[in-house]
Amino acid sequence: MAITYDLMKDTTARLYEWSLKKIPEDTKDALRAACETETLEAGKKVLRFMLKAAEAAENNDKFVCSDAGVPTYFVKIGTKAQFDGDIKQAIADGFDELCRTIQPPLLKFVTNPLTNERGFKGKDMPIVSYDLISNADYVDITCSPKALGSGRWAALEIFVSPTLETIEAYIMECVLKAGSQHCPPVVIGVGIGGSFDHAAKMAKLATLRPFGETNPEPILADMEKRLLKAVNETGFGPMGTGGSTTALGVHINYSAGHGFTPVAVCFNCWINRRTHARIYNSGEVVRYE
Amino acid sequence: MNEPVDDYRRVQLPLSRETARDLKLGEVVVLDGEIAATIGLPTHKRILEYIAAGEPLPLDLGGALFHLSICSEARDGGFDPLYVNPTTSTRFNAMLPSIIRTFDLHALSGKGGLGEDCVRAMRDTGCVYFSMVGGSSTLLSRGVKEILITAWDDLIMQFRLTRVRLEGFGPLTVAIDAHGNSLYENLSQTARERMPDILARLNAGRAAVR
Repeated sequence: MAITYDLMKDTTARLYEWSLKKIPEDTKDALRAACETETLEAGKKVLRFMLKAAEAAENNDKFVCSDAGVPTYFVKIGTKAQFDGDIKQAIADGFDELCRTIQPPLLKFVTNPLTNERGFKGKDMPIVSYDLISNADYVDITCSPKALGSGRWAALEIFVSPTLETIEAYIMECVLKAGSQHCPPVVIGVGIGGSFDHAAKMAKLATLRPFGETNPEPILADMEKRLLKAVNETGFGPMGTGGSTTALGVHINYSAGHGFTPVAVCFNCWINRRTHARIYNSGEVVRYE
Repeated sequence: MNEPVDDYRRVQLPLSRETARDLKLGEVVVLDGEIAATIGLPTHKRILEYIAAGEPLPLDLGGALFHLSICSEARDGGFDPLYVNPTTSTRFNAMLPSIIRTFDLHALSGKGGLGEDCVRAMRDTGCVYFSMVGGSSTLLSRGVKEILITAWDDLIMQFRLTRVRLEGFGPLTVAIDAHGNSLYENLSQTARERMPDILARLNAGRAAVR
């Protein structure tokens, strides 16, 4: 048995649609928990409205947000996965078909940065990055489309042998700069170390981590906890109405690097788009959030 | 389905000067009436070109400009709304002061607020900014009843200048009032003032763990 072109095309398209119409269960749980801990009544009201809005989208097969974002996929290929057909082309074709058939229809968001023309297609669309998983007999796919609201506030700075204090101060500087523009409460992803490109990718991947997982690196587990508290002390609150819920989580990845240390910071807005699927050689498809 | 919009103050558009000046910072409202909507940067630039040329716009803004993305479906002789959602208003900071003053706007709306030049222009004309909750497309869409007219149809759908009729649209928060007060500026200032203490606690916490 093998993973076919059709299966890959259909699965990646469905992952995209799913990400637009339903927010992850753990994100709903985090919003419900925040309704209890939020200190301002105005903030509580916004959080409750967000939950109602997410449920309304999910129950009525509608979009949570009208902005379908830049289509972005991460594909991890098991070294024992077998393929039948051009699976790379399958992702592009799946996106293409989705744009033509999805209901309600999508607005045009794919933008040529040189001409500002918008459409459903564009150079390098969808953005797909690939990695390998040793000994696995499946392909693991993540779909995480990114829109302007939170996308524009991502930032990266390169330090030379920074202390943890410097790194944390920079993250807080990014938080202050974004204010409430990124549709809080947000998930904050941070990548420390590696190289310019690797730090950015680590930060993005950090936003996709489910809530409640403890960082295996004790220094980072501690940093995540302290930073979450610090971010919520800023007082921006849900959608900038004020309150104690500006972030639902701070997730940090790191890698070894050199004396120059990139620190990348990015944000996922409260709808926290992320969907995953595994396609096994057997043809079985397992979807998860 | 009934949304929790009934608890809030219903406000009719166009706002009278008195109503605009009476709306309190942080107050949550639900709107009825007509607005002009677009989320296009090219649209705002074109409005400025019309101002510079002294030309009238193809449709009346009616004093209310909303940064609301609208997806619609064509039908005989017009369009029906399918869904809507706000966009980030600060993208239009540079263009809005002139638009606010020229068209004597009394209501703006979107998400994320506006810069200080805009807030000053709004104070001069007596204009409020209503904050919409991003990502609440399904609920907000229920308050958009009718697409009355679209202009500049050479632009993509959400960039067109579109006049729509709202009924029970919201809830929305008065995030900038007509007196020059901005919730965004207040919160940013508070956060900046708190930052030294926040950073000190961050550092003290780390020292305790290591």
